[in-house]
Amino acid sequence: MATLNILVGHAQGNVPVTVLRVEGDIDAATHKILQDKAAEVIDTGSTHILLDLGGVNYMGSAGFRAIHAISNMLHKDDTPGLLKSTHLKLLNPTDPVARVIKTLGFDVYLDIYQDRDTAVNSF
Amino acid sequence: MSEEQVFDLSVKASLDNLQQIRSYIDRAGERLGVNERTLGDLRLVVDEAVTNVVLYGYEGVDGTIELHMHADGDAVIIRIRDRARSFDPSQVSAPQLDTALKDRPFGGMGIYLIREMTDEAEFLPRPGGGNEIRLTKRGAIQSTRGQSQVPE
Repeated sequence: MATLNILVGHAQGNVPVTVLRVEGDIDAATHKILQDKAAEVIDTGSTHILLDLGGVNYMGSAGFRAIHAISNMLHKDDTPGLLKSTHLKLLNPTDPVARVIKTLGFDVYLDIYQDRDTAVNSF
Repeated sequence: MSEEQVFDLSVKASLDNLQQIRSYIDRAGERLGVNERTLGDLRLVVDEAVTNVVLYGYEGVDGTIELHMHADGDAVIIRIRDRARSFDPSQVSAPQLDTALKDRPFGGMGIYLIREMTDEAEFLPRPGGGNEIRLTKRGAIQSTRGQSQVPE
């Protein structure tokens, strides 16, 4: 059975930030684990999420479907047309994941940081 | 004279086998001398192709997926065969990369990645039913390790 570990942390930027540290491969068998965990923290009040991808060596299109869904959950009240997310950002993607982020154009939608403190303080 | 190395894998069509399939690509690619960056692309495109076969080909029905990987010069060729219902990738819309994420429809990313990260991606019907996806990645082999050269 495919597994994905997600550690939930909290940090304080200009607003409270929930940090989801993902460890494992995000594919069609595991992406729902990420999506469900994000839905859970959003349901309990999280409004700004930093997705730490430093422990993800593989992410296929299913992972991007999950990120897309998480972004939509966080921006459900926004007017259409907003391009860059102010509620969801990415931290420390590995090289293969960063390559797919760029190929799919997700770097247009999501800010990407290499340093956790800088990322948290950007919210 | 050269001795060709061929790597085959036959697995049940299940998302639970994606990890095993990526490991197979890693092992075969390493034996063929595929460079690391290309290996990442091959892992991705095979994972995407197999995922489509499982979700949209077999649609939950039991079936088998056969993978075949070999080198041809500096290229790697991977064939993915199934007995699932026929699949026409031209019916899949490309993702709208210039549209705001909130307004962007889901889907189409897997086929897009397959086309972007290979030099050739052919989707062929098989005699007797099923499909063969033939993926070619050129410039993938960084040494002659994939083809055991026998001195004359």
